[in-house]
Amino acid sequence: MRRLSRAIGGWPVNVRVPLFVAILMVVVSAIVSERVLSRLAETQSRHLAELGGAYLDGLSSSLIPAVLRSDVWETFDTLDRAAGLYRGLALMHTVVTDARGTVIASSEPRGTATGTQLQQGFLDRFSLDGGLRVSDELARGYLRRELVYQDRTIGTVYAVVDISHLIGERREVLTALILTNAVITAILALLGYLVVTRMVRPLRVLSDHLQQGAEGRVQPIEAARLATEGETRRLFRSYNALVEAVNEREALTRRLAEEEKLASLGRLASGMAHEINNPLGGLFNALDTLKHHGEQTGVRRASIELLERGLVGIRDVVQATLLSYRAEGSPRPLRPADLEDIRLLLAPELRRRSLSLTWTAELGGELPLGAAPVRQAVLNLMLNACAASPEGSVVAFAARVQDRRLLVTIDDSGPGMPQEAVDYLTAARSGPTPFRAGPHLGLWLVRQLAESLRASVAVEGSDLGGTRLRLDIPFAAPEALSHVA
Amino acid sequence: MGAATAGTPGSPTRRRLLGGLLAAAACSAGPPRRAIAAEPPLAFGLTPVFMSSDLEVLEQLQAYLEAASGQAVQLVTRRTYQEITALLVSGQVDAAWICGYPFVQNRRELSLIAVPLWQGEPLYRSYIIVDAERSIDDWPDIAGDIHAFSDPDSNSGYLVTSALLAERGRRPDGFFRKSFFTYGHRNVVRAVASGLAESGSVDSYVWEVMRDMEPALTARTRVLHRSEPLGFPPVAAARARSGDRRTEALARALLSMHEDPLGQRVLALLRLDGFVPSEPRLFDPIAVKVALLRRVE
Repeated sequence: MRRLSRAIGGWPVNVRVPLFVAILMVVVSAIVSERVLSRLAETQSRHLAELGGAYLDGLSSSLIPAVLRSDVWETFDTLDRAAGLYRGLALMHTVVTDARGTVIASSEPRGTATGTQLQQGFLDRFSLDGGLRVSDELARGYLRRELVYQDRTIGTVYAVVDISHLIGERREVLTALILTNAVITAILALLGYLVVTRMVRPLRVLSDHLQQGAEGRVQPIEAARLATEGETRRLFRSYNALVEAVNEREALTRRLAEEEKLASLGRLASGMAHEINNPLGGLFNALDTLKHHGEQTGVRRASIELLERGLVGIRDVVQATLLSYRAEGSPRPLRPADLEDIRLLLAPELRRRSLSLTWTAELGGELPLGAAPVRQAVLNLMLNACAASPEGSVVAFAARVQDRRLLVTIDDSGPGMPQEAVDYLTAARSGPTPFRAGPHLGLWLVRQLAESLRASVAVEGSDLGGTRLRLDIPFAAPEALSHVA
Repeated sequence: MGAATAGTPGSPTRRRLLGGLLAAAACSAGPPRRAIAAEPPLAFGLTPVFMSSDLEVLEQLQAYLEAASGQAVQLVTRRTYQEITALLVSGQVDAAWICGYPFVQNRRELSLIAVPLWQGEPLYRSYIIVDAERSIDDWPDIAGDIHAFSDPDSNSGYLVTSALLAERGRRPDGFFRKSFFTYGHRNVVRAVASGLAESGSVDSYVWEVMRDMEPALTARTRVLHRSEPLGFPPVAAARARSGDRRTEALARALLSMHEDPLGQRVLALLRLDGFVPSEPRLFDPIAVKVALLRRVE
């Protein structure tokens, strides 16, 4: 029953309402039909009883003299003549008995012979109080009247009446009721279907748009549909206002995310400048040394080596930055060096905040994954981990390959990620950023990147006391690699 | 059995018709028309009837008798033979069409006026009839039946069958399981046809005429036994009225009925050929049966 109810609950409302109307009509029809037929049966019984009573009254007065004399012929003749006088009463059989129950005469002498006793089964069909008793099963009505003369019962009249025409009349009425109600029910159900279909059309439009919105394509309702009147128009306008607000928020979120990205880049640039600036002093010193003591072979070689190491360090930093933030360009597979680049890029932030890094990277070679999104995602998560961890604490990174998947874990020592951020990251499908713009906008970037990589994100507690983020990135198919930039 | 309603009151029988004919005969030789108003009408008694067109027969019979006898005629009907016989014997009616049985019983008080001719003879029979479907061959097989008699004073409807039983030393009460009177020969046919009675004693003239007029009813019955020919129910007058002018006029009207167009129509309705004078010895066979019955009783 519950399953049926659940199944019906899943049906469209324009089917459920006509169905409900039809069920209601059937119930109402059944009740009305029962009342009508019941009243008809009562009326028929009353008329039959009245007519039967009139018949028996008329018969009694004629029969009493004959019954007093047990006059077979006169009794029969009276019954015979009376049968023709009550044509409204479909008399089948009338029997007159004397006080001892012996048949004096019957209208059907061949069935009930004079001088016999009526069988108990026949007598049981009659009501003892003289009223009408009806048997629908046998289509018969049974009437009984005692013949009383000078306060003595001198005999009894039993009349059996055919009521099949009354039952037929009831059957006709029932058929008419069923047909009429069926037609009315069908018409009402059809009307219900049409009306409800028309009524729910705006809701369906709204529902379709909401469905699209859930799939990430929030679209306003077309202007042509706003030409309606009343509630629908207000509903559509409200929805469109909501869509506009959502889209504005999305745009704002994107902009903020972009700004966040730039801010991260700024921090990186600052670190990078520091990385470049640090060896610069040594390089200038080496240049001065070359200017002044370049003629000395040992000094020159040492200065040139110093200059080379410094420039190589600067080149590595610049290359890592270029690779991380180059949005365009042909995609390429992920290499172990890409992770090493991230480690290099993190170095300034780690130093700035006096953080120590535990680094484990076991890629074992090139992986069929887009290098750029993985690098961006990991770098952002690591920057977040650094930002979340207090100064002087530990941040951990681990990456390994298992079952054609890249499994990355990032641990921080921070106070833990807000629940809304966790929900957002681990949701099956991304939507508009659920939390207010702020320091977590980098997560939006991560989420987008994870989706592009078809990666799943899990958040759990870390052994370091903070948060552990797990990135599970399935290897891309070779042909798909070109699309994962 | 008590008195029963038998047929429509006022319907004619052959006995009534005979009475009417007698009156008509008397009238035809009687005084002129204006004398009719001065005299009381001639009372002509008729015993129970059998035909559905009784009223028409009565009207035509009365019209003929008045025209033929030249005097007013009043048709007197009663439910039973006994009532008419009593009226006749006591002189309350001038003449009556009665049965041979009461005529024999009251022969000393009555005189014959005329006897109808049926199928060319002043004779008829008594029939014992049973259900048409019943497979019995002889009348003793009706022993134990519910039997319908016509009238206790009817020759064909009671006396003949009772005498038949008496010849074997039986009486209706013991021979039949039950018997009852219907006070009309037509009712006997109805009783047997409906199954109310299993057998019945009926006038052959009535049964044969009904076979012609109501074939559906008689078809449900079958004649099991026919008696010997017996004197047809006669028209009689109280012996004291014998030779009376009015009685004579009635007799002449009856005896000449077959010569008169109106009389012929009445005879056609009654399926009779006419009326003839007769001697009382025509009813001697009935008297024998009466005597036999008295001995058994």
